[in-house]
Amino acid sequence: MTKAYINGIGCISPQNSIDSEWFFDAINPAKGDYFDAIEPSYKEFIAPNLLRRMGRAIKMGVAAGNIAIQQAGIEKVDAIITGTGLGCFEDSERFLLAILNNDEQFLTPTSFIQSTHNTVGSQIALIMKCHDYNFTYVHRGFSFESTIQDALMLFEEGKETILVGGIEEHTPNFVVLNRRAHKFQELPSDKPIWKSTTPGIQMSEGTAFFVLNKTKTEKSLASIDGIQTLYKPKTSADILNKLHSFLKLHNLTLADIDVTLMGFSDDVNFDQKLQELLPSIEKESIAACYKNVCGEYHTASAFAMWTATKLIEKQKLPKVLAISDKAPSKIKHVLIINQYLGINYSFTLLSQC
Amino acid sequence: MSQRVYITGLGMISAIGNNVPESFLSLSQSKTGIGKINHLTTRYKDEFLAGEIKLSNTDLADLVKDNNPALNRNSYIAMLAAKEAVINSGIDTNDGLRTGVISSTTIAGMGKTELYYKEMFEKDDHLNVLDTHDCGDSTERIADYLGNVDYVTTISTACSSAANAIMLGCRMIKHGQLDRVVVGGVDALSKFTFNGFNTLMILDREWCKPFDENRKGLNLGEGAAFVVIEGENALNLRKGKALAEVVGYANTNDAYHQTASSPEGYGATLAIQQALTMSGLTPSQIDYINMHGTGTPNNDLSESFATKAIFGNQVPKFSSTKAFTGHTLAAAASIETVISVLSLQNSMIFPNLNFTTAIAETGLVPETTLVNTPLNTILSNSFGFGGNCSSLIFKKA
Repeated sequence: MTKAYINGIGCISPQNSIDSEWFFDAINPAKGDYFDAIEPSYKEFIAPNLLRRMGRAIKMGVAAGNIAIQQAGIEKVDAIITGTGLGCFEDSERFLLAILNNDEQFLTPTSFIQSTHNTVGSQIALIMKCHDYNFTYVHRGFSFESTIQDALMLFEEGKETILVGGIEEHTPNFVVLNRRAHKFQELPSDKPIWKSTTPGIQMSEGTAFFVLNKTKTEKSLASIDGIQTLYKPKTSADILNKLHSFLKLHNLTLADIDVTLMGFSDDVNFDQKLQELLPSIEKESIAACYKNVCGEYHTASAFAMWTATKLIEKQKLPKVLAISDKAPSKIKHVLIINQYLGINYSFTLLSQC
Repeated sequence: MSQRVYITGLGMISAIGNNVPESFLSLSQSKTGIGKINHLTTRYKDEFLAGEIKLSNTDLADLVKDNNPALNRNSYIAMLAAKEAVINSGIDTNDGLRTGVISSTTIAGMGKTELYYKEMFEKDDHLNVLDTHDCGDSTERIADYLGNVDYVTTISTACSSAANAIMLGCRMIKHGQLDRVVVGGVDALSKFTFNGFNTLMILDREWCKPFDENRKGLNLGEGAAFVVIEGENALNLRKGKALAEVVGYANTNDAYHQTASSPEGYGATLAIQQALTMSGLTPSQIDYINMHGTGTPNNDLSESFATKAIFGNQVPKFSSTKAFTGHTLAAAASIETVISVLSLQNSMIFPNLNFTTAIAETGLVPETTLVNTPLNTILSNSFGFGGNCSSLIFKKA
């Protein structure tokens, strides 16, 4: 079965993940009920003439892509595949408000041009002069997963090196509206994220990019062995059955999984099936979480993949992520079980290589 | 790994009809759907033309038989076109085979968001619009409407979106991940897109004139089109009937400018070239090209140069059908896929309306009246903002 070797990573999140040395040592708490990403000084990554016009999602995406490419030590890629649930929301909102505030008059096109969901992927193609395959996935909690599924197919079709990434941004207005719609945890909870008893997430944003290679090289940090999405599974037992089949496909069982990263979002309704699943996971593997650190957004699974890569690289499970009391003796296989809104579920298997 | 992939069902709603038979009638009578704006709320409604679907949201709700207030125009038309395609194909999503829905959209729920956005800061009545703003919403509505769907995803690559949905569907079948996929795209008209294109100054105030020397821009349209594609194994298993075969596809990037195409059409040339290579056909074996042909000065010139780069002095018969439907953005490539299959089935080339004078630099002349001629192969192009270029090649089944 085709694997993808991760040869470079770049991540902008509410934590200091932009610093390649950071490994969950100092953790930024949420700003009340939501997280903002920590943005780097973009001048290091993006030419000033381009930077001036770019919205935040574009800047975050291009910078994280750039970091991944630098780490991989490459100059060209055979495909650029991005995933984003909401796309360039800041530019969309700016153009929308200009229309509404000025009764459709005195508009300038820049924010409209940049509002299309494929802007990040196409800006990277422009900068890299990449005329090859370019795709943008925009399906909720499958946006990033789709990029990996596509990359694995492209490797079988003969591509060698592919840049994939997940991008999400929010705006102050969007945070306000979501709070008004009661999407957030209203009272700070003292319960850990996997034991939530109340609805509401901690909304967040971020971007993570990966340079994937068809063959293993000395740069390879980990391999992606497989990925599967599940749309609206009916019960947690369904998820568990599908998980066993998924692992079997890779000649593994749950007992072979050293760490299982689970996408608890702090919303009891969305997390219900994962809460039911947790005892079965803990029985054979070591359970951990990540949305307590990165928050919840459509492409939080890209942060999870960045985390899994780091765990394999450092051979350590940071305390802040641990659900189970046991510490792993080695980290060879990491499984990510992500969920979004209790509708979009996915399994991703990463291994030491 | 490679099994052949066939189109086995068509569904479409646009300015030229609420379903495929109505669309075929308009096409064969050279009757455009572009006209005065009736449904879209905009201060420019008397100044511009658009290709609107002739139904209100209430009419659409009646047709889908669902009064769920969360549904928006994008979802209504997507559900209708996808259902028509499934019924047309005769597949049964309950038969245990793996079915996917791969859709595409650029505007998603913005058409409803723009109506209530400011109000949402004051009142609670329409806060649920937040839940349907994103691109994935209409795709999941389709999946739930059809039932028993194993896989969903959504693509947004501007005006080439649906071509990429079709391409991905074919690839997933060839890789053995799905047995059949409902693929296509949807974009309802919105104030947001209308003003965006107006601000870019690429809207023609009169009927668009693709490939005409005096073309001034595009007319926006709205629509949804889906096709059922099936691997030959699944098709043979149920003894179904193929309408056409997808024999070539390619996705490239122009990497020239965020919104403009390169003058020589570099990305487009690459896409056509690669799709031809995959199909094993030579340029002379292409019988007809359904062009992207938006009617903007930039696109049509660039696409003409790409066409000449591939076909030299033997350019096949071609036309753009956007003067019928308007430019339907994410839905354009799937609408033109349905039109291409209708061309193959009925041995008809639908005309490039409103054309009088060839572009001086290229001299290319499209078909301007209905042509009855046997067709075996069709190339269909779609290009979009962000340099996304996609070409598809269909063969008569």
